Amino acid sequence: MRRSSPHVLIIGGGGTGGALAHDLALRGLQVTLVERGEFTSGTTGRHHGLLHSGARYAVNDKESAVECIEENTLLRRIAPGSFEENDGLFVAVTDEDMAYLPSFLAGCEETGIRTQVLQPDEALRLEPLLNPELKIAVRVPDATMDAMRMPLRFFATARANGAILLNYVDVTDLERAGGVVTGARVRDVVTGRETTIGADLVVNATGPWSEQVAHMAGVDVPIRPSPGVMLAVRGRLCNMVVNRLHASGDGDIVVPQRALSVVGTSSWVVEDPDDLGIPQDHVQRMIDEGSMLVPAVREAPFRSAWSAARPLIGSKDDADSGRELSRTFKTIDHAVDDGLEGFVTITGGKGTTLRGMAEVCADVVSGKLGVDEPCRTRETVLLPHTAVFAA
Amino acid sequence: MSERRTEDQASGGVEEILRARSAEGPVERKAPGPTAWFDIRRRGTGHFAFSLNRITGLGLVFYLYLHLAVLSQLLGGEASWNGFLETATTPLFLGLDVLLVFGLLAHGLNGLRVALIGSGFVPNRQKALFYTLMTFGAILLIYSAIHVFTAEG
Amino acid sequence: MSAQDQVPATAQETRRVRVHRFKRDDGPAHVDEHEVPVGARTTVLEALRWIQLHDDATLALRHSCFHASCGTCGVRVNGRERLACVTPLADVGSGTVTVEPIANLPVLNDLVVDMTPFVDRFPEAHAIVRDSEFLPEADVPEDLGRFMRFEDCIECGLCLSACPVSATDDSYVGPAALAFAQRMLEEDPGTVDRDALLDWADQDNAAWRCHAAFECTEACPSNVRPAQRIMALRKDLRRRRRDQGRTVPEIASEDGA
Repeated sequence: MRRSSPHVLIIGGGGTGGALAHDLALRGLQVTLVERGEFTSGTTGRHHGLLHSGARYAVNDKESAVECIEENTLLRRIAPGSFEENDGLFVAVTDEDMAYLPSFLAGCEETGIRTQVLQPDEALRLEPLLNPELKIAVRVPDATMDAMRMPLRFFATARANGAILLNYVDVTDLERAGGVVTGARVRDVVTGRETTIGADLVVNATGPWSEQVAHMAGVDVPIRPSPGVMLAVRGRLCNMVVNRLHASGDGDIVVPQRALSVVGTSSWVVEDPDDLGIPQDHVQRMIDEGSMLVPAVREAPFRSAWSAARPLIGSKDDADSGRELSRTFKTIDHAVDDGLEGFVTITGGKGTTLRGMAEVCADVVSGKLGVDEPCRTRETVLLPHTAVFAA
Repeated sequence: MSERRTEDQASGGVEEILRARSAEGPVERKAPGPTAWFDIRRRGTGHFAFSLNRITGLGLVFYLYLHLAVLSQLLGGEASWNGFLETATTPLFLGLDVLLVFGLLAHGLNGLRVALIGSGFVPNRQKALFYTLMTFGAILLIYSAIHVFTAEG
Repeated sequence: MSAQDQVPATAQETRRVRVHRFKRDDGPAHVDEHEVPVGARTTVLEALRWIQLHDDATLALRHSCFHASCGTCGVRVNGRERLACVTPLADVGSGTVTVEPIANLPVLNDLVVDMTPFVDRFPEAHAIVRDSEFLPEADVPEDLGRFMRFEDCIECGLCLSACPVSATDDSYVGPAALAFAQRMLEEDPGTVDRDALLDWADQDNAAWRCHAAFECTEACPSNVRPAQRIMALRKDLRRRRRDQGRTVPEIASEDGA
């Protein structure tokens, strides 16, 4: 392995870390990624698997909406066969929902998200289990991904291109020499041994744990872990993703996952991303709200209920519920923000935008390390996820 | 742009981890071995049938050796054979005969079931097939047992 | 039990959970015991994560999706193969719960196994989407052509762990790989080399190695029914042999035919 290129240590093996490892490996950098558990075991693997069309943000967060629809299109090209490409529906159930329709359509038009308005009978022909009282439905290019396996393709390709991906390695501290981060102190969970990994640059890609890791370097990042509850019931009650046509709220999406249907989600803010809890009233809300979209949810046999923490960017003074915090992503160069060299945080975002986030971060990282290579991830078709296990 | 690390510093920790993970040493593998054949706790009907076949198979092989040993009594002439025949009519021995019939029926009928399923016929009814054939076998067994214990000579 | 029935009141009691532990440099495997506070619907995975968070941070776990989609949390609970994330402790009796890694694969550490040999058994990578058989009465938009869905198999390895043949034979490709091959032949997405796949299955360590214990189907959390698929595969293989006029390959070649 050539050692003349700079060594980047990525902390965090979620979708963002994996996509970043892939991007940097393609640019010829030496990449090591450490993840304390299984890859995608943080937030990435737990989400309902929606490949966003961005329509959900078309009214209130146009920046996110544009990011989503661009990445949506791109991902289908570079990860073919990893999506249930059945499109999605935004369904209006109340008069209030109907009032939202004009701004919804305008927002989608503005952000480049294609829509098709369907009358109730048309919608019911496509999805027979929809609430028969629906008033209108709008078809959008949503899709479903396997929340673990799609990101795993980035890992597989990165590994094939020379990145060293180490799961079950826990970062216990960051090493600093004056105003420069020089590496990380780690413990290999497999053997129990401790060692130090040196790097020319360390990237903090730990999602809702971003603040914990940043504190190891003595800096702050404005990230609040904002969990939400999800519910899985038996039975594939819809083939298309079914959304509620309104400004974001709890339990307003039903996503098919193989022979299950996942209803999500809710939102609150916590301090500790490891101890989320599952508020039972939230689970009840999923059932209630989900049944408004697909009545069969109410009586469908239970499969699982769980919580996942989004990394939402905002300052500590921002809204309590977490929903108002921006869902866009941010690359923080701590040399600029905090006078600390060798340390970058990439955070925020959502499952759909992993590649785009990685590109922005990889540009910053390459710039800092004097590597003049373009991003190649838009054109590179990813290896199958099983390649991550290649001996 | 920060100073480039030397090769050792940059990747030393990583190489250490990789080396330790691939080193010779205790690599555990939960390989139950042949005990898995007979561990029917919390297992399904299919596994029970599998275990039954393994045990009766071993039993029948053991019986084969026993049978040859018995037949070798013939080499000892009429007296030794008659001596054997006396033991052969004791209740214990007759009981073992019934056990043998059980083994043959269980292994044979289950084997028939495996042959049917294994050829792609009725794989969805394998449990029902097992119960049906074993019931049939039980009836045959009872009939044989009665015969073995009440037959003349 | 419907989702509606499942919203419980929280109850507080504790269960004794015994966990298999193994670290490469720490000598042989051992079992640790913990008293874990549980609610009415606490799952095995939640109990294990409680241990990790409050009792022993060195416990290594494998999990990702929390809803039986990723297949990473497979363990043996009281000797039976289960997905930890959807196994309520209430389903595991009322006494001590013993959690061990799944069988027939190398243990990396604690409850985490190395899935590389599992994945290596598969003939090759294929697309994992297929036509959706759900809601057949639905109209499909013309521009979509079909509603699709992911294959049932979540590559959890529970079938391989439960298979008594795999317990004594490492070379057996196992139920998951065979079921996968049969699904590809059945679905035939047009990208499949049928002959190559059937050749792969037509080997002593493949379709013919199964002894019909059906434990794979019992253990599968995703309704793949591998045992039935292996039998269907055998049917296909026999039909192919008959069509090609083959009985015993060696004899045929002796004649120079």
